Amino acid sequence: MEILAGLFHGFAVALEPANLFWCFVGVLLGTVVGILPGLGPPATIAMLLPLTFNMNPAGAIIMLAGIYYGAKYGGSTTSILMNVPGESASVVTCLDGYQMAKKGRAGPALGIAAIASFVAGTVGVLGLMLVAPPIAKFALSFSSPEYFALMSLGLALVVLLAGRSIVKALLAALVGLWIASVGTDLFSSTSRFTFGQMELLSGIDFVVVAIGVFALAEVMVNMEAREETQLLPVPKGLKNLLPTMQDLKDCRFAFLNGSVIGFLVGALPGGGSTIASFLSYGLEKAVSPRREQFGTGVIEGVAAPEGANNSETGGALVPLLTLGIPGSGTTAILLAALVLWGFKPGPLFIPEHPALFWGLVASMYIGNVMLLILNLPLVPLFAQVLRMPVYVLYPLILGVSMVGVYSVSGSLFDLLLLLVFGLLGYLMRKLDYPSAPLILGLALGAGMERALRQSLMMSEGKLSILVARPISAVMLSFAVLVLLIPMFGKLNAWRLRALEQD
Amino acid sequence: MKSASSLIALVALLCAPLSFAQGFKPTRTVDLVVHTGPGGGSDVLARAIAIMVEKEKLLPVRLQVINKPGGNGAVAAAHLAEKRGDQNTLGLFTGVWLQTPLVSAEAKVTLRDLTPIARLVLEPAVIAVKADSPYKTLAEFIGAARKNPGQLKQSGGSNTSRDNVVRQLLQKSTGTRWAFISFPGGGERIAALLGGHVDIMVIEPEEAGEHIRAGNMRVLAQVSERRLAKFPEIPTLKEAGFDVPVVPQVRGVVAPPGIPKENVEFWQDFFRRLTRTQSWRKYIEDNQFEDGYQNAADLAKFYEEFTDRMREILKDAGVKTVR
Amino acid sequence: MEDATRKSGDLWSGVALAALGLYIIIQAGQWEYLGPEGPGAGFFPLWYGVAILALSVLLVVSHLKRGSARGDATDWNKLGRALSTWLALAVSVALFKPLGFVISFALLTYCIVAVMYRRPLATAALTAVASAAGFYLVFDRALGVPLPVGVLGF
Repeated sequence: MEILAGLFHGFAVALEPANLFWCFVGVLLGTVVGILPGLGPPATIAMLLPLTFNMNPAGAIIMLAGIYYGAKYGGSTTSILMNVPGESASVVTCLDGYQMAKKGRAGPALGIAAIASFVAGTVGVLGLMLVAPPIAKFALSFSSPEYFALMSLGLALVVLLAGRSIVKALLAALVGLWIASVGTDLFSSTSRFTFGQMELLSGIDFVVVAIGVFALAEVMVNMEAREETQLLPVPKGLKNLLPTMQDLKDCRFAFLNGSVIGFLVGALPGGGSTIASFLSYGLEKAVSPRREQFGTGVIEGVAAPEGANNSETGGALVPLLTLGIPGSGTTAILLAALVLWGFKPGPLFIPEHPALFWGLVASMYIGNVMLLILNLPLVPLFAQVLRMPVYVLYPLILGVSMVGVYSVSGSLFDLLLLLVFGLLGYLMRKLDYPSAPLILGLALGAGMERALRQSLMMSEGKLSILVARPISAVMLSFAVLVLLIPMFGKLNAWRLRALEQD
Repeated sequence: MKSASSLIALVALLCAPLSFAQGFKPTRTVDLVVHTGPGGGSDVLARAIAIMVEKEKLLPVRLQVINKPGGNGAVAAAHLAEKRGDQNTLGLFTGVWLQTPLVSAEAKVTLRDLTPIARLVLEPAVIAVKADSPYKTLAEFIGAARKNPGQLKQSGGSNTSRDNVVRQLLQKSTGTRWAFISFPGGGERIAALLGGHVDIMVIEPEEAGEHIRAGNMRVLAQVSERRLAKFPEIPTLKEAGFDVPVVPQVRGVVAPPGIPKENVEFWQDFFRRLTRTQSWRKYIEDNQFEDGYQNAADLAKFYEEFTDRMREILKDAGVKTVR
Repeated sequence: MEDATRKSGDLWSGVALAALGLYIIIQAGQWEYLGPEGPGAGFFPLWYGVAILALSVLLVVSHLKRGSARGDATDWNKLGRALSTWLALAVSVALFKPLGFVISFALLTYCIVAVMYRRPLATAALTAVASAAGFYLVFDRALGVPLPVGVLGF
């Protein structure tokens, strides 16, 4: 009842014409910065922050939050069309999204990304509204051993991302771990693998590697063929540009999976949308009856991570608004914004500023509807990009990649890294090493090392801490299970072969 | 006649510092370099300063924030060093600019290679425990640490952070030992304390404020020379019986090397005026910073003392220093 | 043919990765493994270094056991086209500092269209100018995303 009253009040706030306008401005801006690789919500929010001082705080937070979740919608666009991840949260979307585009299904891929984002984004807001306090408590019960188990579970997915050879997939993942440890070690301030370059002291940006290994390598492979035959097919007619009923049916579980995983991982202060999207993709693949087709352009493979990274927004707002604890870069700047406007986010924020909280919640429902209406008509428009002749499209992809990387840090050094990782990605393609495990290792490596070392510091060096705690024990056993499934398959195949030879 | 000339002399004398300052005036947009990406602590402060400058009309030109993230401050410092003689660039430094060159050989630019302008703020800290913690005073915590060496835990940042410096100083002066667990983000540090996974933390008063008000956190002592206005009943470290030096967390302004003397005078004077404005006072009160203004000469002296002390503390803590 | 490339690739990439593993182990050996504060900077790298070394040796050994497919059938033509694309990109990145993004990117586009795809020079020039201008307008003008600036100021 209290919630209904709150929501009613919230809609009254969110539906004020001015706030409705700011909500629209926010989601529109969010979509735009999401589409552009590199430029992300934290940078946009920081730059707009000064303008919001003269605004009414409700309108301002509604707009800034709109940028935050709007960007998650736009992020999939370049992933699907060009294999250039728009945000770190959309890296996983490349895996099946770009393959769908290659098969002429860019429209349905973009469409399902918008729909999954809408469904999961809305579920995330529902979660924020209904279960914020218990979820916040759950998030606090998570500590280093649990994070280590979560990361291990994520890394175990490597076997699901493997191509023909598990050994090569594992090697790629291990190289990812290595790249993740470049920079200054948090615990000891030791410089590791920096080759004397001060730019490497703070590590290598995840997005730079992903753009290099995915987008640059893809362009290089495509440039191999002299003949410019394969204009990516784009079917005519609106009907073929949107997901079919069958597509939606295929994605039923992905919507649920993305919503739940995204929300839960988002609520963890050490979580984040990248991990959420990887985990939901892995889960989707693990339970799918057409598991082996993942990576060749199945629609659930787009719906699950895109859903997860949107539901993550609602989750990430849970610790921010109920505890005053920011979990990610974007929530950290939202926190800074609230402080600058004179609010004190913390455990008392919701009871003391109900109008602001409920106004935000209501605006997020409205904003998600706006985003769906805004993004679906853009699908046919964006799909036209692929009609361009390849000799225009490839330079365009290269340009977008470079601008994307440069806009992250404004440094030419990162462009050199982009070149290095482009070459690495190409070599991996030629030598049949899968690139997804490398990216997975890189995404999880730093967090995994940290969590392991923190756990061992907490337990004075006893590894038993990892299995003595229930949540962590359960997740670790899942990880082992995931690792073992294909091994059983392999063992079986080997046994059969051995039998044949006898 | 005599009185008139002495009057002129007096006026001239009074105007001297002013006319000195008028020797230089920025003529185009001034870049304020920060070492974080948009939204980081320094970035937010720099943007707040830019707004204040515009609101209080303190400069004839605009201040523009330039983000040079990377290298734990080293990239931004190197960027300033490369801008030798540039009259339209300033940098907003924090403690990390001072600490990184001490421990990372790759970070070659120290404050000594740049032109100090002014120190702006000091950030105090408090020592906090979870509200249901058995420790009511810092002495009780230290006592428990003495009984169970290495068993109690503190959450904090990197091993060069102020969090660890405070711990090292306390451990050394009391002969006790407890674990220090590094977390990259402030959010995770607080979550570890509130989740009961660690026992104690050093936290900025602004960050702690709401958790205290909600009854989730309790403050044992404050890491500052004087009691903070918002914590009148909490003892400082010294008052709690722990006479350890207070290592301040600073933010201030530097310029590229090789700029004329009158520029330094213009800028240190400009920032002094900034710190006297109403908007600045409100800003530091909201964030519970301490006014830490120092002019260029004092900042240079501060830097030397700070570095020497820091090097010693890090060595005590077993951290390898490179300069 | 592809398979042959892949198999001899297994050998060389395996050797390269083994070298990387060794390098990581040696580096990690210089850092603290277990200190008074807990696991040190060398703890985690040592373990993944060992894992890289072990797996790459496994890769090489299984390749040698299988017997290598003779006749390296790498398509040098294809490889050459891909690598020259990369080189063109590298040159354009190198030119960012003197020439700025807009001119370098126009040159890159021109090079790809005219040289790699053998389109008429007019088409190449038009594509180059149009896409470079498009980037400038969209990113620099409309969105305020800074592009690398050359000595000419754009």
